Amino acid sequence: MKEPRPCRCQLFLLTYAMLLTFSSAAQDIDLRSVSSTYAIKDATIVQSPGKVINDGIVLLEDGVIKAVGKSVTIPAHAQIIEADSMYVYAGFINGLSHAGLPKPKEKTFDRGKIKDPANPPNELAGIQPEQMASNLLKPADESVSSLRKLGFTAAHSVPHGRMLPGKGTLILLHGSTADEMVLINETSMFSQLSGAPRRLYPNTVIGVMAKYRELYRQASQSKDYQIRYKSNASGMTKPEQSFVEEAFYPVLEKRIPVVFKAQSVLDIQRVLTLQSDLGFNLVLGEVKQGWDVIDKLKGSDAKVFLTLDFPKINEEKPDSVTIEEPKTKTDFELEKEHLEKRKQEMIEKHFLQASAFKEKGIIFGFSTLEVKPGDIKKNLNALLDFGMDESDVLAALTTHPAELLGVSNIMGTIDVGKMANLIISDRPYFQKESNLRYVFVNGNIHEYEAKPDKKKEKDTDKN
Amino acid sequence: MKKHVLLIFLSLFILTIKAQEKGSVLIQKGTVLTITNGVQENADVLIKDGKIQKIGQGLKAPSGTKVIDARGMYVMPGIIDAHSHIALDAINEATSPVTAEVCTGDAVNPLNISIYRALAGGVTASHAMHGSANAVGGQCETIKHRYGTVDPEELKMKGAPRTIKFALGENPTRVHGSGNGILPRTRMGVEEVFRRSFSKAQEYTAAWDAYNSKRNQKGFQGMAPKYDLRLQTLADILKGEIIIHCHSYRADEIYMLMQVCKDFGIKKLVFQHVNEGFKVAPELAEFGAMASVFADWWAYKFEVYYSTAYNATILTKNGVVTSINSDSGELIRHLYHEAAKTQKYGGLSDDKALELITINPAKQLGIDDRVGSLEVGKEGDVAIFKNHPLSIYAIPMYTIVDGVVEFDRENDPADMRIYPDIDEKIDVTIAVADSEYDRCMQDTEFLFEN
Repeated sequence: MKEPRPCRCQLFLLTYAMLLTFSSAAQDIDLRSVSSTYAIKDATIVQSPGKVINDGIVLLEDGVIKAVGKSVTIPAHAQIIEADSMYVYAGFINGLSHAGLPKPKEKTFDRGKIKDPANPPNELAGIQPEQMASNLLKPADESVSSLRKLGFTAAHSVPHGRMLPGKGTLILLHGSTADEMVLINETSMFSQLSGAPRRLYPNTVIGVMAKYRELYRQASQSKDYQIRYKSNASGMTKPEQSFVEEAFYPVLEKRIPVVFKAQSVLDIQRVLTLQSDLGFNLVLGEVKQGWDVIDKLKGSDAKVFLTLDFPKINEEKPDSVTIEEPKTKTDFELEKEHLEKRKQEMIEKHFLQASAFKEKGIIFGFSTLEVKPGDIKKNLNALLDFGMDESDVLAALTTHPAELLGVSNIMGTIDVGKMANLIISDRPYFQKESNLRYVFVNGNIHEYEAKPDKKKEKDTDKN
Repeated sequence: MKKHVLLIFLSLFILTIKAQEKGSVLIQKGTVLTITNGVQENADVLIKDGKIQKIGQGLKAPSGTKVIDARGMYVMPGIIDAHSHIALDAINEATSPVTAEVCTGDAVNPLNISIYRALAGGVTASHAMHGSANAVGGQCETIKHRYGTVDPEELKMKGAPRTIKFALGENPTRVHGSGNGILPRTRMGVEEVFRRSFSKAQEYTAAWDAYNSKRNQKGFQGMAPKYDLRLQTLADILKGEIIIHCHSYRADEIYMLMQVCKDFGIKKLVFQHVNEGFKVAPELAEFGAMASVFADWWAYKFEVYYSTAYNATILTKNGVVTSINSDSGELIRHLYHEAAKTQKYGGLSDDKALELITINPAKQLGIDDRVGSLEVGKEGDVAIFKNHPLSIYAIPMYTIVDGVVEFDRENDPADMRIYPDIDEKIDVTIAVADSEYDRCMQDTEFLFEN
């Protein structure tokens, strides 16, 4: 995967190739599609979770949903999508991801050159809250197309890194430039409890939490002075310029929340401790083991994105032992059985988490920082076996993340006036053998072939 | 589908996660070792809502109160371990010679099975310490062994004084001097780290005092000193708000730290390990410094070759408040046995030997007004033994924290894990033992690779 460092001549070729690419891209822009008006006909429209229109029409124009219903006049210039027997849903919204942000290569560094491991450069310490995901976006990255292929049309995307990787952005999963993709430039300050590499401060969770408190309080202090200095600097000592501290200001002003990745039951609570110490607005992402702390979460007003990364569940295999004559089990066998049982129960709790949150009346979306894109659909379907119904899962993919990210006015349902983000599936989406045929992102159409039957059979076999 | 729906209800309630409660219990007709008020034969201890309400004979409890028949048993205050690293997910932030700003309280892990094992040894509270990699290590957390919760906050003994780990000798000089080629490389360097740190903290305090005295003056435009959590913590030590617990072996260094503390007006000082404490016992007593030692463990590194099993006795007889600690998830299970060793080596009385694991560690942690002895008004932390706890035949039967029975030998399930490991390979034929190593240096192993 890693590319060798290009030599001079290669660089030249590369530049030439890139120029060609750019010029062809420019031609693409010139050759606009025939019409930006689309009419999706005769479809089963799942307008919002639980609200279905049979044989309806959705009319899209210039990236906006113009009309939805049974009797919609289709303008002559509209491109028609014959969606007879197909299902239309609002485009999915990914609550927390690295979409469009490929993982940067781990930078090697010469330990000998670091004079003071207790004060490493911010880049090595993982303290880069001033980085903007929007500046790092790679529109052509595979993560964008692979999520879109699953039905995601928008994603909250955050940089890779350690304790403070940078600011998150809300992007549309379509576009050849960052400008085209970015919907909201600065949506969150992404944080994690991950420390710097070995030997460098802060390395452990106790170091990270202490440093986090210090940075937060330093920022809060410098902000007051900066405000006074900006209003009238006369007679005042010039404050030090700190991009790190300034990056905290929108958080301190409660204009954006801190989005903290916290998977384990203990990390979730550590983050809640930081929140109660410092008082920021909190969104918890990639929550994996939250079932025992739901009430505590409620008390903190934290918003939640649950992970779609589940442990492997043991498929029930035919047990050869049961076929044999019943015999008294040895202590070892009994102990092993008990340990297996507890392990399986623990694994199942991960799958049951979503329904536990639902029962407690907490709305949540999903995050995909850890899950392999190839597992997402399988795992969404698994939730249906563990106490969630289709509307619940759909809500966690559409209306709920829209609400949590503050974009309900333009996303989450198929309603007039909302952005033309929708997906069309040849069968109900949550049927295992369903195929997405079209994905509209901001009115831009992406078409997919149905998977060949052979694959379908293979999938069915798994049931 | 149906199967799984049923599972939801089962799984969600199979392991009822205990909310921290205060319990009531009546312990009847035991031999009560109060520690601070002698031994009461055939006496009852009544704990109500987590506090000891009465000690005496023929006590009555409201109906419904749990009753423990302690006839033929010994009832003593819950054992306290002044030096432990159980229930922690991180022990050393070994990246800087001074890390006063970090807190092990942030890494408390209530799911750790060692808590239950400690309970099975009658231990109701422990001092979850930072490691000894740094000259000035992190702040520690005094925890109560309330097992069965997933909430780290519920383990913390709210209101217990703040404590901080310091370290002398080989550990900090190996990690930072040999490991990174920075100060401290020698024992002299360690002293320099302390003096420099405290001097900076004084400057920090002075700068803030100056700022605060001027900030409300009309027309004041000055900038506040930059907030520094490390210096703030060191300043809190100087103000007497944090008890220093210092990892130490050699007498010369122990004496050195007392001189440093005198110079900076620091009075709250407890030495940990203190294997050569017997050499400076009168000096320790004069300073008012306390000592927390192993019963008979030494020679595990060069600076700790010179020691004696009489250490605890000599310190005690010189008037030093002394405790015996575990520093280990294994030793913590039989601290009563460790304390009994002082009767073999030094002939301490039952009372004095038991003080080493009850009221004395409580004093060292600044919680002796709440725990460490059986007194009316104190917290209901109790250990009940079959046979005298200092006997080789002692068996812990019940361990009670805040009036809640946390360990009951007659009702001791085989699997007490709260969150089983989902990646665990289950093979019951292989016994997995916790490897024995110096936990004080956990998270620093990488420094000694190559």
